[in-house]
Amino acid sequence: MIALPMLALVVGFIAVYFLFPTVPPAWGDYVAIATLAGFDALVGGLRARLEGRFDEAVFVSGFFVNMVIATLLAFLGDKLGVDLYLAMVVALGIRIFTNLGRVRGLLIVARTGGQKAAAP
Amino acid sequence: MKLEWRGEQRWVVAMAAVSLVLGAMLGVQVHARRLRGATASGRQARAVVGMLTAAETQLENQRAEIQRLREQLARYEQEAADERGLTRLMKEELETFRIMLGVLPVQGPGVELVLDDSTMRVDDKVGGQEVYVIHDFDLVQIANELWAAGAEAISLNGQRLVTGSAIACSARLITVNNVAISRPFTFLAIGNKANMVSALNIRDGLLDRLRVLQFHVKLTPRDEIIIPALSVMPKYQYAQPVVAEEASR
Repeated sequence: MIALPMLALVVGFIAVYFLFPTVPPAWGDYVAIATLAGFDALVGGLRARLEGRFDEAVFVSGFFVNMVIATLLAFLGDKLGVDLYLAMVVALGIRIFTNLGRVRGLLIVARTGGQKAAAP
Repeated sequence: MKLEWRGEQRWVVAMAAVSLVLGAMLGVQVHARRLRGATASGRQARAVVGMLTAAETQLENQRAEIQRLREQLARYEQEAADERGLTRLMKEELETFRIMLGVLPVQGPGVELVLDDSTMRVDDKVGGQEVYVIHDFDLVQIANELWAAGAEAISLNGQRLVTGSAIACSARLITVNNVAISRPFTFLAIGNKANMVSALNIRDGLLDRLRVLQFHVKLTPRDEIIIPALSVMPKYQYAQPVVAEEASR
């Protein structure tokens, strides 16, 4: 059940990597921040699912909307001369890390049947 | 696993869709990073190499031109000297002036002094100057000390020091006679060996000060030193000789 999303990730990567070898260099920072936002949404979705409160509408909309917002904020930061980009890298990084920790805790609880306390 | 089974299918589909997009973006990102690195540094490097090649070609042409003109001059002089004894006297005088001007390479006994940055690597700065690197003013002081000790000809990293030779510093680059040089710095000086060695090694003098800061300093007296000629002659654009009748007024 985890195989299909993994496969999709690889397929998406390969498709773009080999079909579109030319990308405007200026995209670099924006795609990076959007990718990070997307990864954050993915991990958030994983956690929500393990907590039993997963909703695909929330998940999919959150994924796309967060990516767009992150890109817009990075763009705005560029225009204002403020490194909003860095602020988002830090904020998203912390979120991803926290969520991954939570996912790990939940997986351990699921496996041991709740005998051990979940890590925060 | 005590997970809810209810939305399993839909969860996998949503996750897969999102993963597909994320994978695509990673693909874009890998390309974007690679391209950006390649274009930024590559373009700059090509431009610099082009400039360097052009400058080197120009330099080479000018050197050849100088060589041609010098040979021509030597031929004229030879012809003139053969004619009369007076011109031979003038030729001898000319030789002396040429040594003074640095037009001729010269040889004789003297000293070799090699200087390099300190092995200490501390970010100490005094008055905005880094303490542990050789500065233009260090070199100026040493050249001055050598002249004072009776040096008859001096070169610094192959550049002949003559009247009007400037040792300057611009943007962390030391230039002599408008030619950029870099460490290690090698002075060659022809003159009285003992006088020059003792002048440089004087207690608490220039070299002592550098040695205390662990600069690399190597002073060697030599019996035979060859100092090259000035590579490019100075041009006199503004200074004109004073005509005799004007001077007597």
